[in-house]
Amino acid sequence: MTTIRRFCCNDLLRFTSVNLDHLTETFNMSFYMTYLARWPDYFHVAEAPGNRIMGYIMGKVEGQGESWHGHVTAVTVAPEYRRQQLAKKLMNLLEDISDKIDKAYFVDLFVRASNMPAIKMYEKLGYVIYRRVLRYYSGEEDGLDMRKALSRDVEKKSMIPLKRPVTPDELDLQY
Amino acid sequence: MGSKFGMAGGIPERRVRPIWDAIDSRQFKTALKSSATLLSKFPNSPYALALKALILERMGKSEEALSVCLRAKELLYTNDSILMDDLTLSTLQIVFQRLDHLDLATSCYEHACGKFPNNLELMMGLFNCYVREYSFVKQQQTAIKMYKIVGEERFLLWAVCSIQLQVLCGNGGEKLLLLAEGLLKKHIASHSLHEPEALIVYISILEQQDKYGDAFEILSGKLGSLLMIEVDKLRIQGRLLARAGDYAAAASIFQKILELCPDDWECFLHYLSCLLEDDSSWCNGAISDPIHPPKCVNCKFSHLTDELFDSRISDASAFVQKLQAEANNDCARGPYLANLEIERRKHLFGKGDDDKLLEALMQYFFRFGHLACFTSDVEVFFQVLTPGKKMELVEKIMKRCDSDSHSTVPTKVLGQSITLFKVQEEIGNVFKVPVSEIEGSAVKMAEIYCKNLPLSKDLDPQESMHGEDLLSMACNALVQLFWRTRDLGYLLEAIMTLEFGLTIRRYVWQYKILLLHLYSHLGALSAAYEWYKSLEVKNILLETVSHHILPQMLISPLWVDLNNLLKDYLKFMDDHFRESADLTFLAYRHRNYSKVIEFVQFKERLQHSNQYLLARLEAPILQLKQNADNIEEEEGILDSLKCGVHFLELSSEIGCKSLTFNEDLQSRPWWTPTSEKNYLLGPFEGISYRPTENLTKERETNVRTVVEGRSLLPRMVYLSIHCASASLKENIETNGSTSNTATSSELKFLLERYARILGYTFSDAIEVVLGVSSGRKSSEAFSSDIVDWVTFAVFLNAWNLNSHELGLPYGDGCKPGTWHIVDSLLEKYIREKVRSMGPLICSPGSDLPVLVQLVTEPLAWHGLVIQSCIRSSVPTGKKKKKSGSADQSHSPLSHAIRDSIQSLCGTLEEVTEMVERTDQQVRE
Repeated sequence: MTTIRRFCCNDLLRFTSVNLDHLTETFNMSFYMTYLARWPDYFHVAEAPGNRIMGYIMGKVEGQGESWHGHVTAVTVAPEYRRQQLAKKLMNLLEDISDKIDKAYFVDLFVRASNMPAIKMYEKLGYVIYRRVLRYYSGEEDGLDMRKALSRDVEKKSMIPLKRPVTPDELDLQY
Repeated sequence: MGSKFGMAGGIPERRVRPIWDAIDSRQFKTALKSSATLLSKFPNSPYALALKALILERMGKSEEALSVCLRAKELLYTNDSILMDDLTLSTLQIVFQRLDHLDLATSCYEHACGKFPNNLELMMGLFNCYVREYSFVKQQQTAIKMYKIVGEERFLLWAVCSIQLQVLCGNGGEKLLLLAEGLLKKHIASHSLHEPEALIVYISILEQQDKYGDAFEILSGKLGSLLMIEVDKLRIQGRLLARAGDYAAAASIFQKILELCPDDWECFLHYLSCLLEDDSSWCNGAISDPIHPPKCVNCKFSHLTDELFDSRISDASAFVQKLQAEANNDCARGPYLANLEIERRKHLFGKGDDDKLLEALMQYFFRFGHLACFTSDVEVFFQVLTPGKKMELVEKIMKRCDSDSHSTVPTKVLGQSITLFKVQEEIGNVFKVPVSEIEGSAVKMAEIYCKNLPLSKDLDPQESMHGEDLLSMACNALVQLFWRTRDLGYLLEAIMTLEFGLTIRRYVWQYKILLLHLYSHLGALSAAYEWYKSLEVKNILLETVSHHILPQMLISPLWVDLNNLLKDYLKFMDDHFRESADLTFLAYRHRNYSKVIEFVQFKERLQHSNQYLLARLEAPILQLKQNADNIEEEEGILDSLKCGVHFLELSSEIGCKSLTFNEDLQSRPWWTPTSEKNYLLGPFEGISYRPTENLTKERETNVRTVVEGRSLLPRMVYLSIHCASASLKENIETNGSTSNTATSSELKFLLERYARILGYTFSDAIEVVLGVSSGRKSSEAFSSDIVDWVTFAVFLNAWNLNSHELGLPYGDGCKPGTWHIVDSLLEKYIREKVRSMGPLICSPGSDLPVLVQLVTEPLAWHGLVIQSCIRSSVPTGKKKKKSGSADQSHSPLSHAIRDSIQSLCGTLEEVTEMVERTDQQVRE
């Protein structure tokens, strides 16, 4: 019982119960609004009866050539609505848009190397660990770059894991 | 930053790049040096000057930066041979904007566009300037010019958005929409449309004019293919048909959506409304407040005949059965909840069957009762049940739970038992059962919590764990017990329960919020503030979450913390207002036109925030409070506040605008659904647990009154200081100047307004103050506004010092005027509060905040009046000596001041003793 629709500014005033959660980051306004201004199709919110916000996903599409891909910046679900596969639904939506509308090659996301519950969830959704990014989080914790190939990448080349870890600087060079 | 042929602003790029590199790496000194070299080579280059200004601004040298910018501007205006490119202008624009001189940037661009009328790049820069200024009309004109030059779709849409903004946020009449429609039609005829967002804007222009049929036709035609997500298109089509009153067609569209997304709840509600020909959710203003939408849709369908209603309902039921049969995963709650909604509508139509609704609720419970969202899902369905039926439901669920414990998954069993508690809480049952029973269930909740801890042993400590809600509910029960019995032990147990929970899991925000309210109620504000801080509230949450702590802090002595709170909040808001236009332009550039409108409206919403308004007033008032012990410093602050004039304007400014309320009240505890309400302060009476839905109206009136009163304060403080000093000078020089008269009549005018806020005329208010201070009237005349009344008395005295309009008898023989009123009121109320104050821990909801306010506001303001009198009466410098001022120390006024000082000292001593006593108690 979920209505999934585009995220809008007013939702910023309504997502409090989702964002007070310790694991959900509340970004600054220009961050959210840049995503809304540039990639509105990649920013969706799920609502429950009584117009309660259940969770949301934000992302973007970027890269060049065969690196043209969808990226999940944040996906979060309020505690009240967990264990109902909502994150999966939101992820599928973003994958769908990357695949069908933007014809991207793959979708990727970054996750803390220590966040096992999340890594397991993404693996269940078909993502593989493509590479490790050294000290990606505030120069401390490593990040894992996880990927899932889309239909345009017929041979699933984008998912073949790299043998060695990369540094955050190498990431910047790539896109 | 480079442009054509390796030139930048008419200068070879290789010369400019090192400067930009230095700026980017914040090496401003190096940058300034290179910039000097560059200027020696190109002394008349506006671009070189703009770069220098940019560096100066970054170094904090605003004035120098401005004068360099102005020189560049002058060169642009006077020297025809000078290159005028966007790079130069946009660099200047950056500096002008940071120096708060948007207008200068705009006039540079205007000038440039006048000189090179067909330069698209410059015109885009000009358009951007108008976006920053929110000049919608000029935006429109500029966009149309660009459209005429190149005929591009995007510029047409920029113009159309600018028109829409005039209608939605400006004073534009609706006729403008017709113009926008015409422009679009003409363009489509020759060029069609190519962007999905352009189509969305077109549809919205038509919708705003109630042209639903036209909009539907366009969407269903060739242009409709621009919307790639089928469901999105269907949703708009359904809405258009419904708004046009074609319910049958709309219902079939919504049915299609449900076949694609069976779990789409909003769509189901629309489907049902259309079947029943109910337009409540489509009427204009159906959702008047997008931030606090109603929990359930209102319904009206009285015009349907019984037969028609029955047949439509049976259609709906059949469709829902089909959806349920097709639902292949267990998580889709929609089709099951749909049954409940059908039963609810039947109820509202007068054809309800309680037993069927109960049965449907039972079924929903056994399918989804273990989910944490069960209660909030079904909340609206409880509302149509009678109290008796609600009880029956609880009993039935309990019985079935006991008899067939078919679920063996421990987390599911736990989930169901939590839901059972929640349902009882939700239906308000807990207010009727005996104390012992509530106590029992609080204990049971805590026991279940402890027993189930092992279920969460593998979870990350940052994750929410199973059964977390139990401790919140136990706390709710304990607080209710306190309300009923006034036994403080319950309150302390509630606190300990939550503290225990936070020891197990450090990050549970629900516990933290409950705790901070409990500590606030007990007067332990520092502890409350610590828990608030641990919520790590930042960015937009400052707007939605601050209400948990801000009102208490405003009347507390924790000035440093309050200052931080206000500063952070105001910084966030002001930063957003500064950058919002740039983000709007970003949306323009990326052709996401619907976001353009959204961003501008959102900025307006935040600008009208009631909390923002209050914070803008309270931040300077706090400064005045903090510095009231030193009149020179106070005057410095008043100077920086333009003597308080600005705040008077602020309050009249909001008079005509509606305020917005963006606070998230859902997260507040049941006993204080808004910051103005606290049930625990009153006697026990049953309440419904949830905050009633629309408190906005009530709050708006309240906020306006508060704002008006507070906005007068800085100015009254300023005028009082002047009246006091004028009164002394007048005594000395005996020639009242005209400026004194003006000061005094302005203060009188403000006092009249203040009296009106208190609900009295000026003369009646004086009567009340006189009556209460002399003991002729009881304190009840002040009701709960003691602080405001004493404040009124303080300023009244200051005014009377100069005007002598109140020809009051000289009190007890030697006190002139109105001094004794202030003295006796301050003495009376402060002492009263001090003496009635028991040990803090035993008297939750005590008068401490009132005492703090009395001391830090009216008493402090009165202190300033005294300081001002003394300063004026003490001869300073030679001039005074020469004039041979008469010795003032024996005048009646000096006596009055001396008495007042003595009275204040005595009062303050008592306060100090009380504070020391309390401090000692705490140490012991």
